[in-house]
Amino acid sequence: MQGGSSGIGYGLKYQARCISDVKADTDYTSFLTGTLSLKEENEVHLLRLSSGGSELICEGLFSHPNEIWDLASCPFDQRIFSTVFSTGESYGAAIWQIPELYGQLNSPQLERVASLDAHVGKINCVLWWPSGRCDKLISMDEQNIFLWSLDCSKKSAEVLSKDSAGMLHSLSGGAWDPHDVNAVAATGESSVQFWDLRTMKKVNSIERAHVRGVDYNPKREHILITAEDESGIHVWDLRKAKTPVQELPGHTHWTWAVKCNPEYDGLILSAGTDSAVNLWYASTNEKSPKSPVESTRQRVNLLLNSYTDYEDSVYGLAWSSREPWVFASLSYDGRVVIESVKPFLPKL
Amino acid sequence: MATEAAPMDEKAKRMRDLLSSFYTPDPSISTPTSSISTSFDNINGPSFDADQYMDLMIKKSNLDVLLQRHVQMAAEIKNLDTDLQMLVYENYNKFISATDTIKRMKSNIFGMEGNMDQLLHKIMSVQSRSDGVNTSLFEKREHIEKLHRTRNLLRKVQFIYDLPARLQKCIKSEAYGDAVRFYTGAMPILKVYGDTSFKDCRRASEEAIETIIKNLQTKLFSDSESIQARAEAAVLLKQLDVPVDSLKDKLLEKLEQSLDGLQINPEEASKLAEHNVSSKDEESNNQGPAKIHEDAVRGFSEAMRAYREIFPDSEERLFKLARSLTATHFENMELYIRKRVSAADFLGIFRIIWEDVVLMDEVLPEAALSDLSAEAAQVTLKQFVARTFSHLQQDISETLLKFDINQKEVVDGEVLKVVLEASGKAVLQGTTDIFQEFRQLLDENTGIFVKMNDLLIGWIQKGFQDFFRSLESHFLVLSGKTSSSNETEGLVEGKSSEKIHAGLILVLAQLSVVIEQKVIPRIAEEITASFSGGNSQEFIPGELCRVFHAASEKLLQHYIDTRTQKISNVLRKRFKTPNWVKHKEPREVHMYVDMLLQQLEEVGKEVKQILPQGTFRKHKRSDSNGSNTTTSSRSTTLHSDKMARSNSQRARSQLFETHLAKLFKQKVEIFTKVEFTQESVVTTTVKLCLKSLQEYVRLQTFNRSGFQQIQLDIQFLKAPLKETVEDEAAIDFLLDEVIVAASERCLDVTPLEPPILDKLIQAKLAKSKEHNNNNNNNNKTTVSS
Repeated sequence: MQGGSSGIGYGLKYQARCISDVKADTDYTSFLTGTLSLKEENEVHLLRLSSGGSELICEGLFSHPNEIWDLASCPFDQRIFSTVFSTGESYGAAIWQIPELYGQLNSPQLERVASLDAHVGKINCVLWWPSGRCDKLISMDEQNIFLWSLDCSKKSAEVLSKDSAGMLHSLSGGAWDPHDVNAVAATGESSVQFWDLRTMKKVNSIERAHVRGVDYNPKREHILITAEDESGIHVWDLRKAKTPVQELPGHTHWTWAVKCNPEYDGLILSAGTDSAVNLWYASTNEKSPKSPVESTRQRVNLLLNSYTDYEDSVYGLAWSSREPWVFASLSYDGRVVIESVKPFLPKL
Repeated sequence: MATEAAPMDEKAKRMRDLLSSFYTPDPSISTPTSSISTSFDNINGPSFDADQYMDLMIKKSNLDVLLQRHVQMAAEIKNLDTDLQMLVYENYNKFISATDTIKRMKSNIFGMEGNMDQLLHKIMSVQSRSDGVNTSLFEKREHIEKLHRTRNLLRKVQFIYDLPARLQKCIKSEAYGDAVRFYTGAMPILKVYGDTSFKDCRRASEEAIETIIKNLQTKLFSDSESIQARAEAAVLLKQLDVPVDSLKDKLLEKLEQSLDGLQINPEEASKLAEHNVSSKDEESNNQGPAKIHEDAVRGFSEAMRAYREIFPDSEERLFKLARSLTATHFENMELYIRKRVSAADFLGIFRIIWEDVVLMDEVLPEAALSDLSAEAAQVTLKQFVARTFSHLQQDISETLLKFDINQKEVVDGEVLKVVLEASGKAVLQGTTDIFQEFRQLLDENTGIFVKMNDLLIGWIQKGFQDFFRSLESHFLVLSGKTSSSNETEGLVEGKSSEKIHAGLILVLAQLSVVIEQKVIPRIAEEITASFSGGNSQEFIPGELCRVFHAASEKLLQHYIDTRTQKISNVLRKRFKTPNWVKHKEPREVHMYVDMLLQQLEEVGKEVKQILPQGTFRKHKRSDSNGSNTTTSSRSTTLHSDKMARSNSQRARSQLFETHLAKLFKQKVEIFTKVEFTQESVVTTTVKLCLKSLQEYVRLQTFNRSGFQQIQLDIQFLKAPLKETVEDEAAIDFLLDEVIVAASERCLDVTPLEPPILDKLIQAKLAKSKEHNNNNNNNNKTTVSS
């Protein structure tokens, strides 16, 4: 109810699943989003929040050959991003570059920097290291995890190493530890698994079924949040991964995605298939176990707000790293909504 | 001279002053006259310079003053002359009287010497005579003295020789006091000459003393003797240098040993308590164990009283003994209440202990036993209250879990209902019973209890508060909602959340409602009725109701979650396994639909046992039952119509159209709040499952046949789902959404022709009917066999 009045909307032509913050753009708060349409010409939209923060402007519109299942902006070059796409029958992943003079061109074409074409199965995601310049990339399909070395100038990507998760763990997504360039988490059928990229070996796992989304806390090492289909959101401390540190109720239906705020520790966004985005505050500060009375009282306060002004399931979710109180959400019907969480910050 | 001085007192005084001034060496202190004139013109001063004085006078004064001064001086000189004259006269006079006195003294002394000589002579003669007497009587006196000494000695010897006999006599007459006195009197002699002349005598008397000591000891140890006698015996023994301390130790040890017999064994405690109660009922006919115990304690306290008087220095030790007895009493009591104990039994034991304490306290008021036991009693009572509550909780969880085991064997039937009823009863009855027991405690008017009444009320209230709180968290643990890693419940730890039966969660949810609506108000009522005067801050029914309300909702949600999770797993497998892009033409309704329906049926069954029926839906459903097939077929035609149209048109407009359709459709509330009714829970479950289905569909890409398969499955689902569900509109909407999602994700949307659809569905229905029949037959055969 509250979200409807304050949110800034933008409609994509088709259905869409993914939205990404353009982190490398330091001048504007911008987001990249791509459509998911099986039969139509798919598009990538570059959106920019006007300086007043009142309007969402389409800064660029590029056609993309296939429907986009995953999209991630390069954290150190605002013109580069990765997509995972599907023709319906087969999957592919590529790195793209936005042409330099796109403002003046009529129908600018995306430049394909590199294709990550070592995959066979259904590709889930391409990951950039979130905290800085790193010439490596990770891509995951249902069984394998690949480490790529990317050279933008030569327009090439080479497989550095790969590992198979095994047939039984069909991987569904992942996150790259912002504190450790060698640690990657991947969500699977029955567990969250962790790889050390130096050896390309599995080092750890959290036994947890049906994890949909996973995100590292960028402000605090060893803290990971997971979103699960039925059982909500869990906060984990990877040093003692047996039981979650904290538990948030999540959504009425599945919790699809979770994102930690890049600036405010403990601020968590979650998107769910119940057409809602929830804003949580889950501080992991307190070490001492609280009394049950206190914790229940806290549990009530954990949900700061629920944005419910969506028509369909919300799959895409991204905090802005330039203005960390702004986030973009994308519901399946192709509606981008930018919201500001500023009214809730003083409560922290 | 006195008569002379009286009239001319003035003169005499002046004379005396002058005389004294003459004889005193220091002029500054002497004459008061000199103090009249100042030092400068002090004529009497030693440093007076007459010339200087004259010069000063002449310079300073005029003639009149000088003349005046002259006259004055002349008078003074005249005065001085008379004074001098008088002094000379006086001196002379005194000298004459002194000479007279000396002359008189001389005449007195003369003639004294003769008297003195006479005296000396007389004294001499007296001395010689007394010497004579002395020498003449000396021998006789010597003799007498010797005789006297011998006689004394003889008497002593006689005494010593008589000692054994005398002691024997004393023993006979039990005059131990005399005996000891005699013996101690003879002791020094016996010590000196015992080895020589009085050997036999000594031996005999020592023997006698030995028997005396023995007798005294037996007297001391025998409880039948009066305390006075025993105390005397102790004193006598002490006089005889018998080590009394070791005796005391021995006695006290004996007393300590007797303590063991006084303890209330936890095992026997219940027997004791029973007898205590029954003996009160039946006018305590004779020696019940309680009576025995009481006598024993009485004996113990008597003994303590005795020892206290006998050995005044043993108080500390006795205190210690009494304290330790009290302490062990309470310790044993603690052990005893570790088991399940009714308040009556508890009180029984408590009374016994209290009586013991009172008995001992009478004897040893300084030991502060009542304080000690009051403290211990507080602890014990508190523990008792706490234990009673924990027993109750254990009871409840046992009732819950006992049936849970059976649950796995009997899937159907009314097991859940039985569990709910049993556990509901356990809670309600248990809390009421507990309250009654506490009432018993409060009604007790043993001294200590009266004091602790307020405390007890507080504990009970707090106990209830804590009990309900812990029950709530226990429920959550049982349901697997909160992890039990930090709990110590052995029962739950073994169970992973997977294994916890969903039905149990539902039972817990409904049980929470029962507690919220029935149990807590009832307890609150009883508490306010019983402790109207007391402070009732400890027990807050409103808060507890809120807690349980929240818990019930949480648990119900958890139930739905676990249920939908199960169904989700079925769906996940269904959508993950085939390659939908290369799907073959649909031949029949896929079997996952059966599993889905079966799961939903299970939910329905469980819910029916536990939850109340919703009020408003029932008749409406029966109404719509008749028209069910028609509406469904109509919607199919409508849908396929739309599909056909959209197929011919551009797909983009199709998306637009669905959006438009959504706009015009009344927005269906999919995620409504769950209520505690059968229908609401089933509906919510179905809704969530269909939503999951839609989400799974959205993740796939279908070819024509894949889409048709989905269409077929959904079409088949429609009828049975509507039958079970309250909110038909929402179900319709969700089923349509699944179809829409599938069509959106389909490369080639060509719906199945309605006739084929109908045919396949009919085939499935027939098959499932047959299957059911078979099942029934099987069941029948198993039953008959």
